[in-house]
Amino acid sequence: MMMKQIIEISDKNPFKVPENYFEEVNRKIISSTSGYRSEKKNIGLYRKLRPYLAIAASVAILAVLSYMAIHNFSSRDDKPVLPEITLNEFSDHYLNDIDNLTLEENTGTVAPVFAHSDLNSSEIIDYLVFENIDINEIYERL
Amino acid sequence: MNNPDGDIFELLKSNVDKGFRIVVERYSSKLYWHIRRIVILHEDADDALQNTFINAWRNIDNFRNESSIYTWLYAIATNESLAIINKRKKNAAVPIDDLGSYFANSQEGSTWFDGDEAQIKLQNAILRLPEKQRIVFNLKYFNDMTYEEMSKILDTSVGALKASYHYAVKKIENIISNG
Repeated sequence: MMMKQIIEISDKNPFKVPENYFEEVNRKIISSTSGYRSEKKNIGLYRKLRPYLAIAASVAILAVLSYMAIHNFSSRDDKPVLPEITLNEFSDHYLNDIDNLTLEENTGTVAPVFAHSDLNSSEIIDYLVFENIDINEIYERL
Repeated sequence: MNNPDGDIFELLKSNVDKGFRIVVERYSSKLYWHIRRIVILHEDADDALQNTFINAWRNIDNFRNESSIYTWLYAIATNESLAIINKRKKNAAVPIDDLGSYFANSQEGSTWFDGDEAQIKLQNAILRLPEKQRIVFNLKYFNDMTYEEMSKILDTSVGALKASYHYAVKKIENIISNG
């Protein structure tokens, strides 16, 4: 029978291996796999935490961006914006103009004819200004 | 059903390094020859054997004692062997479907094949089988494996395996008898 012939042929193994091959390959396999396991444990922990770290990082970034946006758009100081003028312009424009407050502060020198009147100095100055008397002239006559 | 690897399985749970060392020492030779008959060349068999154990080690936590370690390792080894064959088909200038021609024309440094003409003839006949049928023939004929064990390794029904082996034997007889 043909199968018997096959068996006779296959009794001998024609494939060969290098000397001590199995001792060598076993040692190689054991040494390569034992180191891999501790790395896998460390990586495993990192992989487990990675999604939570990603969420935490996203929340932190959003918080920083929100703070920056709120800080930039809402912290406008309501400080009056002063016009930019030179010192000379300031002295010409403001210092030579006597305001009502300055007049009121100096109405102590107003003629005593008004001393006993029912009007106070503020009312007198308002009257004079209303009568188109130049405010600087009023101050000069004080 | 007695699990021949029951002792190893318990050891793998309590001391995985020691258990795996025993797995390697117990099965490396059997797996090597199973791989070698598929891939033929020693260098390819060496690569596939190491890849088999590295894959097994990586997945040792997922291994459940539903099948034996023996059949589990053989399944991994078979897949590694087929991967090497497929890779070789893409890269090799000379296909290994005829050992005599291959060894004559190959640039391989060492073939580690020491067979006479009759053995080359037999190996060539086996090589002419389709890959899966060749594996079935090898597992049944050279490893004396049961069809139930083969079914777990190859994920094929027992009936299909019986038929496959039957036709494999017929083909080999036919090739040898026709010279």
